[in-house]
Amino acid sequence: MSVTPRVEKIRQNYLNEKPHISCERARIWTESFKRTEGLPQQIRTAQAFYDACHELPVTIFEGELVVGASGEFRRCGILTPEYGWKWVDDEMDDFATRPQDPYDMTDEQREFCRKEIFPYWAGKSVEDTFLARASEETKKIGVDTGFLDTDSKWRGGIGEISPDYVDQLFPKGFGGIKKEAVERMEDLSETDPADMKKRDFYKSILLVCDGIIALANRYSQKAKEMAAVEADAVRKAELEEIAAVCAAVPENPPTSFREAIQFAWFVELGGIIAENPLALNVGRFDQFMYPYYKADEEAGKIDYDTALELVECLWLKYSEWVWVISSNTAGFFAGYTNFENLTVGGTKADGTNGINTISYMAIQATKEIKTHQPTLSCRIQPDCPAEFMEAVTELVSTGCGFPAIHSDRVGYQMLRNLGCDPEDAKDWNNCGCVVPHSRKTFEWTSSCNISFTAALEFALNEGKSRLTGKQVALPEKDPKTFTSYEEIKEAYFKQFSYMVKHGVISLITAQEINQKKAPRPFLSACNEFCLKNGADLVDGGAKYNIGPVFTGCGLAVTANCFAVIKKLVFEDKVTTLSELIDALNANWEGYEELRAKAQAVPKYGNDIDYVDSIAKELADYYYHDVTSYKDYYGHTFTTAFMGISNYLPTGKVLGATPDGRKATEPITEGVSPYTGSDTSSCLAALRSSAKMGHDIHAGGTLLNLRLNHDLVATPRGRANLGAMLQSYFALGGFHVQFNTVSNEVLKDAQAHPENYKDLLVRVAGYSTQFVNLSKSMQESIMARNAHESF
Amino acid sequence: MSVKGYLMQLQPFSVNDGDGIRTTIFLPGCPLRCKWCANPEGFQQAPLVGFYHRLCIGCGACAKACPQGIGIDLNQEREKCISCGACVEACPKGARKQLVSYADADQIIADAEKHSMFYQASGGGITFSGGEATSQLELLDYLSRRLYDMGFSLAIETCGWFDFDKVLPVLKRMDLIFMDLKHMDSQIHQKFTGVPNEKILENMKRLGETGAEIVIRIPVIEGVNATEENIRKSAMFVKEHLPKAKMELLPYHKFGFGKYEALGLPLPADEFATPAKERMERFFEILSDVGVERVEYR
Repeated sequence: MSVTPRVEKIRQNYLNEKPHISCERARIWTESFKRTEGLPQQIRTAQAFYDACHELPVTIFEGELVVGASGEFRRCGILTPEYGWKWVDDEMDDFATRPQDPYDMTDEQREFCRKEIFPYWAGKSVEDTFLARASEETKKIGVDTGFLDTDSKWRGGIGEISPDYVDQLFPKGFGGIKKEAVERMEDLSETDPADMKKRDFYKSILLVCDGIIALANRYSQKAKEMAAVEADAVRKAELEEIAAVCAAVPENPPTSFREAIQFAWFVELGGIIAENPLALNVGRFDQFMYPYYKADEEAGKIDYDTALELVECLWLKYSEWVWVISSNTAGFFAGYTNFENLTVGGTKADGTNGINTISYMAIQATKEIKTHQPTLSCRIQPDCPAEFMEAVTELVSTGCGFPAIHSDRVGYQMLRNLGCDPEDAKDWNNCGCVVPHSRKTFEWTSSCNISFTAALEFALNEGKSRLTGKQVALPEKDPKTFTSYEEIKEAYFKQFSYMVKHGVISLITAQEINQKKAPRPFLSACNEFCLKNGADLVDGGAKYNIGPVFTGCGLAVTANCFAVIKKLVFEDKVTTLSELIDALNANWEGYEELRAKAQAVPKYGNDIDYVDSIAKELADYYYHDVTSYKDYYGHTFTTAFMGISNYLPTGKVLGATPDGRKATEPITEGVSPYTGSDTSSCLAALRSSAKMGHDIHAGGTLLNLRLNHDLVATPRGRANLGAMLQSYFALGGFHVQFNTVSNEVLKDAQAHPENYKDLLVRVAGYSTQFVNLSKSMQESIMARNAHESF
Repeated sequence: MSVKGYLMQLQPFSVNDGDGIRTTIFLPGCPLRCKWCANPEGFQQAPLVGFYHRLCIGCGACAKACPQGIGIDLNQEREKCISCGACVEACPKGARKQLVSYADADQIIADAEKHSMFYQASGGGITFSGGEATSQLELLDYLSRRLYDMGFSLAIETCGWFDFDKVLPVLKRMDLIFMDLKHMDSQIHQKFTGVPNEKILENMKRLGETGAEIVIRIPVIEGVNATEENIRKSAMFVKEHLPKAKMELLPYHKFGFGKYEALGLPLPADEFATPAKERMERFFEILSDVGVERVEYR
């Protein structure tokens, strides 16, 4: 089965279009704010949203069934100067040419921004305010450093929300939400000062509801106009249907699968217009869409293929929107990846099997569309049906890297550990990349990237960056004078805690600024409890308010470094600390033998307790240190070992490390082993990772592994992969994702074996590391691969 | 009390020798000398160190560690080597590898047990292979008894050259037995494997006594046994004596002879070839004509 000609056409148009910056949203927002000086920020924000919904260009692209765009271009990125504009001003001349995630932007657009938009926000934006407030000390270690980064929380919209389709949006529609706001406002006292803020909140809800309904109506009108002049009868009928659908939703609850799909896209579009968010999650798509599919199917109104085409149109919409971010952030979140996370599979809130036709349809759509959004996540319960496991592992075998595969139970446990009620915890959806989340939650899920390896560099370099020589962290004594392993560890923990402290300072500052400057009326309207409580998300309106999440990077590298110091310097005494420091300063040049010895020390990811126990100690220290702080709202901070692409920028700023890594090379992501160092077997890598105790790191944990395509080329191979996943989850692992490799990769591995030491291939009766095979054997495996590929 | 014996390696994540995810325990001591064998370290029951020239950086750490005073190129002075493993420990690049070690059975069990979760989820278990596992009967008996009692699913791959009555108690613990059938003609068998086939065929006939599921395997090699006549005779033999057994035809792949180089052994003659796909299809048809069920673990 392949996609319909319509979907293929839209897909090709998408693939051939470069991302463009649209200034429209920024223009409307700025003009609106100029008109509302003096009003409460809550109202001003909602009014700006309302105005954007009325003024944004309305475009229906060729062949579309699902409509709505954030600007005039198909692949459109918008600017949100109220969050940050300085970085745009600094970077936009290079937008088109920067290596990671470039955007097209015209000179006229740039001139317009510099003249009409940016001057208004000078001194007013979240970014301006943050930079004015942050101390020099914090900036030195935590602004654009690659050691400690929080800028996604003060340069752009927050996102990281899962709109509630189940209890809020679909049952009420924005018309119903508006009605509820009106009713609740009637109960407020006009003289009680405590009700003033609530009144403003409900007023803001009325504005955003009217706004999104108006936007839909404009699309309805547009479709009607296009239908009137459309010569092709088939397209004319389609446009008429679009007109009817957009007139109905999202004002009213959806009455069909088609309306539910369009509704979901308007919610996403509203979120985009509101704040250009990271991780505006779709949530448990199969759970909230299935009732509509089932009803339509039973009534004979829809069949599987028609529904699939709509789902694929929606997938392309998710991919078209371009998240506009600074080059610093783009290093961490490479690939225009805006993390519109969509979860399928797992159990229902009552614990019974929740997998349905839509779960399979979502997997099929991702397989056929082959775009980067939505970020597809699958929940796997212990008794996951073999058929679903086959669908999941079959998607893995296509080599697209999707889906992210999650343990149903560990996700539940993580939310329980964060204080969620059992029925909400059972209903978890995935957020961003690997964060267990709930549609009832307000949480900054990816707030602070903290580099474990940087803390070690500071401990071993007097608090200075090895590459720049600049003093960025706590002063420390000459590293050559440490006399024991324990002393080095203490110095590391001291630096690490210093970094955590500045992360906390940055985040509570950013939280306070966001609360005052960046209320979120539209996304609050999507939350049942904000309405009930009469409070915006930023004012704690949600049912669960969870402390910001730190993301640890470089766990494996840092543990490997400690193992080298422990073994080579203090146990085997084959080198001295002095020689090791000299080697690091020389980037290992002239120390090849010592480097070889360092590389031969046991590495994390091989189920060797010697080094895995060090990783566990570092992870536990991180957990205890971070969770000792409370955020701006009084909630405990949370830890995670996520991935994204943070192992690249965090590596770029670091000098050579004791594990044998050279300066500027990547460090490691999540709880994954260092690339090429998990040479035992993938079972050993899974066991090492599981030792970290995932459930306490309730912001999520990530493990990436490479697999040879050959291993998953047959149903039997995929069943074994499924069994491997279930075992990992039984050991307490939370997430794993696979890269399966092709012959091109194998050829590259032949040429550069040093980069592929972990690459597993099936030989004959067993699997082993590709690079450990002789040339002739490698050739024969490649020959077989070509022979057996689909 | 534990026993000790010679171990080639423990291979976790084996997925083609029986059901599910398995750990294969390779034990050396093969009485056959198949000319295409890619595991020559499995010939002798003796510790053995290999030298992988390709990985060597010439640092000399091995020579420094060697109690016998052997230099970097082990294969030039192999007669002096006592396979103590000091160089394996010392080499930072893994260019010296312990290809056979003297191992404690309880340690082997502990290492195999680590992956029990994976066996359970996949319906896998533990496979004995070689070399030839039956040639270290005391070790095999101990390992299989302990692992059987621990509830693991067991399988064995054997060349079939052993004393049946002595090995029978071990075979009875197996859920699955793979036995090789390299050629039906005893003279040709002797030419390519160093031993005639009568003993193997006699043992094969008795496999029904074990109660295990039986798979007779033919490594199908052009130039040795890849003829319609031989495949048909093999299938008929299996059909006659082991009516419930299945057969697996494994096309020979030339996976290089890296271990010969590592051991400084002369390379085997390059006279064997992989059968073409159509040929394999034809052999599969023959099995089906004869009425033998074919199996493959892929």
